[in-house]
Amino acid sequence: MNTSSTIKTGSFPADGPFLLERFPLDLDPSEVRRYLGNKAGQRLKSDTRFDDLLAESLQSARQWIAPKGIFLLAAGSDLCGWPLFAHLERMAFAVCTIGPALEMEVTRLAGAGKTLQAVVLDAIGSVAAEATADAVEQRIAAEVSGQGLRISCRASPGYGDWDIRSQTALFSLVPAERIGVRLSETCMMIPRKSVSFALDVAREPARLRGESSCTDCDQHHCPYRREPSERREGKGE
Amino acid sequence: MKAFLERCIQSVQDGDAELAAGLAREALERGYSPLEVIENGFVKGIREVGRLWEEGVLFLPELVMSAEAMKLAMSLLRPALAKGARLATRGHVVIGTIEGDIHDIGKSLVATMLEANGFRITDLGADVPVGRFVDEVEKSDADCLAISALLTTTMSGQRRVIEGLKQRGLRLRVKVLVGGAPCSHEWAQQIGADGYAGDAVAAVVLAQELLGSGTAQ
Repeated sequence: MNTSSTIKTGSFPADGPFLLERFPLDLDPSEVRRYLGNKAGQRLKSDTRFDDLLAESLQSARQWIAPKGIFLLAAGSDLCGWPLFAHLERMAFAVCTIGPALEMEVTRLAGAGKTLQAVVLDAIGSVAAEATADAVEQRIAAEVSGQGLRISCRASPGYGDWDIRSQTALFSLVPAERIGVRLSETCMMIPRKSVSFALDVAREPARLRGESSCTDCDQHHCPYRREPSERREGKGE
Repeated sequence: MKAFLERCIQSVQDGDAELAAGLAREALERGYSPLEVIENGFVKGIREVGRLWEEGVLFLPELVMSAEAMKLAMSLLRPALAKGARLATRGHVVIGTIEGDIHDIGKSLVATMLEANGFRITDLGADVPVGRFVDEVEKSDADCLAISALLTTTMSGQRRVIEGLKQRGLRLRVKVLVGGAPCSHEWAQQIGADGYAGDAVAAVVLAQELLGSGTAQ
């Protein structure tokens, strides 16, 4: 996993698709705790035992994580049937995944009654999928910066007010099968630990509706909602 | 005996499966009544854990650790129950994630908590066809059906299960619980479910409410 990133096809300013694989991921233990519902700064009576389990799980999880991403650049109006971004001249559309191995292991653990290990590994998978999306987002930013362009925050179908059914339009644009991701009839990505997103590419990008900023999202009871003090640097959140 | 029971309660609260198992074995060696150790020890521990979770004191892995400690102790004590001993069971819950949806872990967590709280569980897994839920109610002695849906595109399957139960005259035989990110109390009401639970502990509380104080097993 700790090999350098590679863009297999195309080079900017071509519109892609651009394929990324074999890049390092930084899996932040505090993010795993957040996915498990641990509020920032909350101390636990089982801290030591849990930290040991988390460290072991993070170590073993790496064998089941194979990050890949694919993105392309297109006009907002190319997202057929979804007028939300139609006014944006240039956007990046991406699909990322950590592959199927981790979730197969989660299913195996849960089936064997090892619920705790399954829950922790599942959370690690979610953090890894987000870290994969972060890496792809950073690569997009790097690619377009040479043109004097910047990117907005990410927006994903099914989050905020962007309807999940627009996944079909996004998948008709991005050849996600090249990284092993497909869409079910119910618009669910398979493998499950995958992230699809769009972002604005412009000299002065607008902040997109439904972007990843928790403060702009109306899902106030979301268990993963970040308070302003929990925002991570450099993520625009 | 009281001090021993307190240790049983504490072992579950601490999520210490090894200690809970050791105490269960010790209880058997000392000839304590398994029924008393379960009901006045471990069960009290898991109830307290549920309360602490609701207060926001516990962290999800701690909740799971407690449930696993409880299950391990129960697995050791249950076979030792005297023939004819009547261990209160809360009922039989058939659980699964609806078709088109392969989210598994939240449903498994609910199953674990229900089991730790004395429910008998049949876990159908994820991506379960509507007809399979209905068939399972027909052929089993299920008291409760718990249906998980994590997507707005799959939650309509919960409604179809309820319709299927009605069509086969089975609706009054079971209580139906729904859960999952896009669901809500309003949704449960709209589709004619008996209730909605937002997390695993809420599912336990709701199932206990809906099924009453327990039946004999």
